[in-house]
Amino acid sequence: MTDEHNDHPHVAYWRIFGYLCIFTVASVIADVMDLKAMYNIYVLSAVVLLISCFKASYVMRYFMHLKFEGGWKYIILLPTVVLALAIPFALASDIGIHYYDVEVPQQNTLLEKEIEQIAKEKAEEEHHHGDEPAEHGGGH
Amino acid sequence: METVQNGLEEELMSHQSGHPPLKMGIDIPNGKLGMWLFLGTEIMFFTAFIGSYIVLRIGSQGWPTDVDVTHIRIWAGGTNTFVLICSSVAVVFALEGMRSKDFQLARKWLFVTLMLSFVFLGIKSYEYYGKFDHNILPGRIPETESQALAFTARDLRAATGIVPQTEKLKRLETQMAELQKKGRSTEAVQKRIDAQQKVVDEITPIANKVVAINDRVKAGTIELGLAAEHGEDAPQGHSAAETSTTEKPAAEHPAEEAGQSTMVTEVARLQKENPDVFGSVQVPHPIQYGNLFASCYFIMTGFHAIHVLVGMFMFVLLLSYGSKLSSQHEVFVENAGLYWHFVDLVWIFLFPLLYII
Repeated sequence: MTDEHNDHPHVAYWRIFGYLCIFTVASVIADVMDLKAMYNIYVLSAVVLLISCFKASYVMRYFMHLKFEGGWKYIILLPTVVLALAIPFALASDIGIHYYDVEVPQQNTLLEKEIEQIAKEKAEEEHHHGDEPAEHGGGH
Repeated sequence: METVQNGLEEELMSHQSGHPPLKMGIDIPNGKLGMWLFLGTEIMFFTAFIGSYIVLRIGSQGWPTDVDVTHIRIWAGGTNTFVLICSSVAVVFALEGMRSKDFQLARKWLFVTLMLSFVFLGIKSYEYYGKFDHNILPGRIPETESQALAFTARDLRAATGIVPQTEKLKRLETQMAELQKKGRSTEAVQKRIDAQQKVVDEITPIANKVVAINDRVKAGTIELGLAAEHGEDAPQGHSAAETSTTEKPAAEHPAEEAGQSTMVTEVARLQKENPDVFGSVQVPHPIQYGNLFASCYFIMTGFHAIHVLVGMFMFVLLLSYGSKLSSQHEVFVENAGLYWHFVDLVWIFLFPLLYII
């Protein structure tokens, strides 16, 4: 491989192209197979994103010739990776993972329904209560 | 002598042997270094969007994934992935052509790349058209039942055209008043006013029907009446079973059966009565987190499409050199290629994130 360290590295581009196509087909197959239904969304995400990483690494190494570049590539590219990870980590604790109950309009219908349900149960319970004291309705 | 990339040692040796002087800096053309630095910032630019999308997605229970709801077509995304891979190969061959001084070949491959980018944008605009067509636009998607009701009520009101028509009438009347003040002839305007008054009078009874529905929406005495056709486990209405939980003393509407008729039946009734007015009105399904989804979708694919346009501009520029394309443009071609590969890279990640997961 060190032999290829010159300005004109010769790469079998069509072979790389073939790999990229195979990977693309593989991710479509993952979608058609419905891995989400078979396992869950995490398995599906892991599979297709891993495929993407392979594809990206082929494009970067051979098409962008990073494999044949000097050490400067690390200086330019590694810090961006750190910053790329910073945003998800910064946002995750509040927006991604919810410590408290979420109160957003999208979930309010749920809340409203729950409140209604609770009110209904309460009313029923009270009704029972009037008939026979010391009785406690089960929670359906 | 070609310079060698292997760093200090060899350079020192060559220095000692007296040939080229010790050269500081990175051993690539300045333009290429600039492009790589730019691509570094581009990585951060796109990963900011992608990272935010992932976090928002994880944090939102009930994100829309049903293709019938999102109108995301995997064949479109897959084809576009393939098109971009092909164009990446094409641009790499263009660079090979430049390096082997076969500029004719380089131009041929640059042209292929440009054509493929047109294909990409064509498919992309077809997809955008579908989104616009189904009103999947940030901020426009009703996410809850009450929003869907408000959306339909507004749509119905707009369909009658009562607001612009009455405004037109008012404008004509002020015009008339001005003319009268100036003591000019008002005959022509009066004619127009009469005609406009007729139009408004025709619309008014139809608009009044909508007002009745509108009032019920405001009072909360109407339900959407759309069954959860779209399978999603999104909480849908109180089902058909009548749950007149809050028997509000519904303002005296001509509807004793206010509890029974839903928005769907009301719209169907209106459409039957005035098909030419209300024909296009549809009762939308509420899509939970639809707006956030649409925002993410459009910001990511939109910025990607802008990058495609910039890349196309570079290829057009290169092709415009025509037969003058020569060795001096080699770095330009290489930079355009690097940029284009980056555009491909972004799509490689957008494809699974938007179309599959």
